[in-house]
Amino acid sequence: MPIYAPTLPPAPDLHLGQPPALVLMRFDLARLWRQKIGRFFGFSFLVVLLWKVARIYVDHLLQTNQAFKPMQDFAKTILTQGAEFQADLLNPTSYLLWFLVALVGGGLVARDTLYRVRPLMYAHPVAPKDYLLAKLGFASGLPFLILLPFALLPWLMSLLLAGLNGPVWATAPLRLLPAMAISSVLMGSLAVGASSMAATPRAGIGWVLGLVLGAGTLASMIQGLTGFRAISALNPVLLAEAWPQLFVGVSRPLVDWLPAILGTAFHIGLWTYVAARRTRPSEAVI
Amino acid sequence: MNPALEAPLIAFENLEVRYAATAAPALKGLTLSLERGIVGLLGPNGAGKSTLLKALLGLLKPSRGSGTVLDVALGAAESARLRGRIGYMPEYDALIEDASAYEQVAFWGELSGLAPEAARDRAHEVLYFVGLDESRYRPVSGYSTGMRQRVKLAQALVHSPELIFLDEPTNGLDPDGRRRMLDLVLRVHAELGTGVILASHLLGDVERVADQLVILDQGQIKAAGSMAGLRRALAKRVELRFLDPLSPAQEAALADLGAVLEARNGLYDLELTEADPTGAFRWAEAHGATLVQVTPRHDRLDEVLLRALHPDAVRGTGLRPTPPEPPRPDQSEPAPNLTPLTGPSSQREA
Repeated sequence: MPIYAPTLPPAPDLHLGQPPALVLMRFDLARLWRQKIGRFFGFSFLVVLLWKVARIYVDHLLQTNQAFKPMQDFAKTILTQGAEFQADLLNPTSYLLWFLVALVGGGLVARDTLYRVRPLMYAHPVAPKDYLLAKLGFASGLPFLILLPFALLPWLMSLLLAGLNGPVWATAPLRLLPAMAISSVLMGSLAVGASSMAATPRAGIGWVLGLVLGAGTLASMIQGLTGFRAISALNPVLLAEAWPQLFVGVSRPLVDWLPAILGTAFHIGLWTYVAARRTRPSEAVI
Repeated sequence: MNPALEAPLIAFENLEVRYAATAAPALKGLTLSLERGIVGLLGPNGAGKSTLLKALLGLLKPSRGSGTVLDVALGAAESARLRGRIGYMPEYDALIEDASAYEQVAFWGELSGLAPEAARDRAHEVLYFVGLDESRYRPVSGYSTGMRQRVKLAQALVHSPELIFLDEPTNGLDPDGRRRMLDLVLRVHAELGTGVILASHLLGDVERVADQLVILDQGQIKAAGSMAGLRRALAKRVELRFLDPLSPAQEAALADLGAVLEARNGLYDLELTEADPTGAFRWAEAHGATLVQVTPRHDRLDEVLLRALHPDAVRGTGLRPTPPEPPRPDQSEPAPNLTPLTGPSSQREA
């Protein structure tokens, strides 16, 4: 049982704290963990971890038993396939990831709006840019972390199946990392922008899905009417898929470099601007 | 003495705030200086109390005028650091429902600049101070209104601010909860030496804890003064009952005693020029009137508020409109009971 002073003692030094954006991100992470969806992610990552443990055991068998020699050959032939194989590593997760970004990111700003927490944040030494940075960092960091094991899969498998001198070391998988970073920032900015326009987390989820699907549909319609292929770069789902293709050098990417750069800059710029406007201190005053 | 303690807690001049460039001003050229203590910011809903607090916090930029809070200029580059010296308890429920009181008070402490471990320790101390030590690990979604208000007060105090803004701290509380909250406010000032700005539309709250009073309405300061001065002024309020109705000449001569606020059926509400009510008997003797009763009117603080807010429509009891009187040169003249700290803001508007 703690013993407290009869009155409140003075607070310790106020200059030893962490940057506000980091405090906010940490709190959002703890908040996510408290929700069911957060525990679902945690379970998913645990499965990935268990998979890795299993592979290490398989590697042990490979190193110690010549009967597994054909598997080493398999690693050399399969994992060194071309750019299409590399880019395709992230494809199966694409729509699922957008859905998860909508579920988590949709409520990121909207929840603060609903509980009217933002004015109180700004009443502390938190600048609007700290708040925006924290939300964008969290919303972008989450898809990046989820994609990371998929991008590193050939690298890890090569390590497990063929050892340190495996064939993938000198090839492409690490080129997926900057592509993933761009895609993640695209997803994060769109989620934060959409969430900032919503009054409740549920509405935020709707906004994210509506914007993603709406932009995709609009781009398809314009492309269908005009035949202008580059307009498809307005589709955020397509952009997120195109960036890995561009970085690993696929022969026929979904979108070319210039439209991809313009489309991504448009989305990141627009939704960051919307989020910045909607989270100004004057907007926080209710 | 520390020069920072000699400086006014808050001072502003000609402060105007607009929510949009084209919108009407929410605060209209306010000028005021407040000393350290507990300041009651009183006014009806929509008077501009919350807007003023948010302007002082730097959440809203003044469109005109200047001011200082704890000797730091409003809108200055260091205003973010200034907010580390201020605590704010908002009017509405700004609580994170799925977090416990302990988690969120520690979070607000970290946002104020405390290191994570220090913030956690501090959260325990401050929740104990506000009386929530037993239930601090429960999610706040299960808290009563009184407990929620105390969590909000705890987050405002977690970083030992020099000044706290309390926006309607007794909202939704029962009489006991209200008493406990106001006791806490008094303790915050008495034990911690923290300056307090308490915004409320409830006169009883302000009367109980404040030592300075500012009455705000429609974005203007209607009156401002110390509560002691106000109480002294109120002590001059008396009700006189005469045996027979006064003649017109006698009524006119009542002005020698003080200002007549209301006259009805042989009863006269007066604000005496001197605090000694026995002068009324000498006046009656000198003017041939029979004075049968002198009733001090110490309990009429509510009238001060009403008269400050509606100087023409309601006088005296605040309930009965009096016959129209000639228009006054300045409608925003402070209530006669109050000693203005500075002139009313609207005088400077022109």
